Amino acid sequence: MKNGFTTSFNQVSTSYKTRVQGIGKYGLLAAFLLICIALSVLTPRFLTVQNLMIIVTQVSINALLAFGVTFVIITGGIDLSIGSMVAVTGVVAASFAHPDTFPVAVPLLMGLLAGVAFGAFNGFVVTRSNVPPFIVTLGTMTIGRGLALILSNGRPVSNLSDSFNFIGGGKVLGVPTLIILLIVAFISCTIVLRKTVLGRYMYAVGGNEQAARASGIRVGAVKMAVYTLCGGLAALAGILLTSRITTGQPNAGAGFELDAIAAAIIGGTSTSGGSGTMTGTLIGALLIGVISNGLDLLNVTSYYQQVVMGIIIIGAVVLDSLHNKTNA
Amino acid sequence: MKRIRIATLSHVLFAVLLLVGCNQSTSSEKGAGGGSKKLVVGVTMLSMQNEFIVNVHDEMAKKAEAEGVDLITVDAERSPLKQVEQVESFIAQKVDAIIMNPCEVEASSPAVTKALAAGIPIINVNSETSTKPSAFVGSDDVESARIAMKFIAEKLGGKGNVVMMHGYMGQAAQIKREQGAREILKQYPNLKLLAQQTGEWDRAKAMSLMENWIQSYGPQINAVFAHNDEMGLGAVKALEDAGLKSKVIVVSIDAIPDALQAVKKGTLDATVFQNAEQQGSKAIETALKAAKRQAFEKQTLIPFQLVTTANVATFLKP
Repeated sequence: MKNGFTTSFNQVSTSYKTRVQGIGKYGLLAAFLLICIALSVLTPRFLTVQNLMIIVTQVSINALLAFGVTFVIITGGIDLSIGSMVAVTGVVAASFAHPDTFPVAVPLLMGLLAGVAFGAFNGFVVTRSNVPPFIVTLGTMTIGRGLALILSNGRPVSNLSDSFNFIGGGKVLGVPTLIILLIVAFISCTIVLRKTVLGRYMYAVGGNEQAARASGIRVGAVKMAVYTLCGGLAALAGILLTSRITTGQPNAGAGFELDAIAAAIIGGTSTSGGSGTMTGTLIGALLIGVISNGLDLLNVTSYYQQVVMGIIIIGAVVLDSLHNKTNA
Repeated sequence: MKRIRIATLSHVLFAVLLLVGCNQSTSSEKGAGGGSKKLVVGVTMLSMQNEFIVNVHDEMAKKAEAEGVDLITVDAERSPLKQVEQVESFIAQKVDAIIMNPCEVEASSPAVTKALAAGIPIINVNSETSTKPSAFVGSDDVESARIAMKFIAEKLGGKGNVVMMHGYMGQAAQIKREQGAREILKQYPNLKLLAQQTGEWDRAKAMSLMENWIQSYGPQINAVFAHNDEMGLGAVKALEDAGLKSKVIVVSIDAIPDALQAVKKGTLDATVFQNAEQQGSKAIETALKAAKRQAFEKQTLIPFQLVTTANVATFLKP
């Protein structure tokens, strides 16, 4: 009875299945392009080189965080502490970036080190305890916020050197440094995910942890690597944000984790792990940026902006779940 | 499977209890020292992540030490619910007076009612609750926006296009600063509000918003009024990057150290100084008078001051 039903259901739904899979693969890109076209029609200010460059600049920090959290989500985990890491690493970097103190490499390295250490700590607790990553990183999110406040005495760390402010606020040959770094990070993350053993292991761990372990993958090491990578990318985001706004703020990055996770999910990364791509995440982040830029250009109040963003996130997840169901 | 679920749930509960436990301990830690005759003042602040609020508190602590008073400070972390609980705990500790820097106009009001019912004087500092406290020490936010907008109007000769960056929509400071700005806009019919949007008090958000406005309005914008300095400085950065700063006036409120530096450099045209030191010390003075049952001012308004390149030197700390 049950088998018969499934068979006939499968037969009936074949065309539906291929259709939904099609949406899952190209739907995001189509939706993105559609929204871009709509905005170009609605306002002549949208489709200009300068505006597009501004969108990518504005998106870059969220995209870096989203790349990191994509790695984590692919392995079936989550990292809620990235927003706090932005604050910690920003404050740390800023503390070493006052003019005439250290060469610019020092704040960079210290910031990165702080992020990597923070991420490694997340990975350590996740792998060594049975506590779900959601809870672990919820805890470290609060710890991180506290650390940022302690390190900065609750005040912004300002008066940063010009060379430090150039990293995230400058231009090379007319192109904002943020865009260049975003492209470099995107290519690097794609290579890690698609061309390395580590990348393949990430999918394996997220797809079926027990099977991965049985086939000899050191699951703990993979998770450790993933959270550390995420910490490193969050540090990069934190340093760039600090440089862009020329001040290290202990309350920076609050809520950033949700935007980053939203970008990954809109981009088709499955919250249950095992699937996701950097290209998808990048488009997800761009989509969020384009909508927020477009609605600003149209002078739509932020109340509506939030509603629109929420609808898009849910829409993306619904699409993702349809896609998964037909794949099963 | 079910067992795992339950295990996870208990982990969640444990973590929640742990977090709640942490909060409890910070609020009740110092209360036990009431054995001596020293007066004890309970202080609950909106958010110790906000520089201005931290400054107000620092001054209170300084003043309290000079007066030989014990201060118990707790951070409400922007949660009115938490703030009411904190005041309840002050009442239970039988403090001599309470100073509250309210999170919210309405939602923090029950704290005032409870303190007054327990016979403990409660002083509002910096902003007000709808329920009248024993006394209020602070500044009138509407006035700060009037000062800022008037400066813009005069600089532009009463004619031009202004964009306004709001704080978090619905917060007392945002509502009052908008009100003050609109009062002045009404007096100058040729001063147009071209666009308005929230920058959520945040420098990075304001910078993005300004970049987007530059795209849509470009040279039409003559002036920016931001509800706080963080956003004002974000707008300045975006305008500088677009090479437009020399053509656009930017004015904001609070006079935080970064903003004073910017005024000195001439990148921020003006800011409005809200006197954290006086708010803090006057709050303690009033609280002590009230605790000793002496006569005290029901309302102490600390005046604002406009800060421009002309007078910025007097505000910069050595």
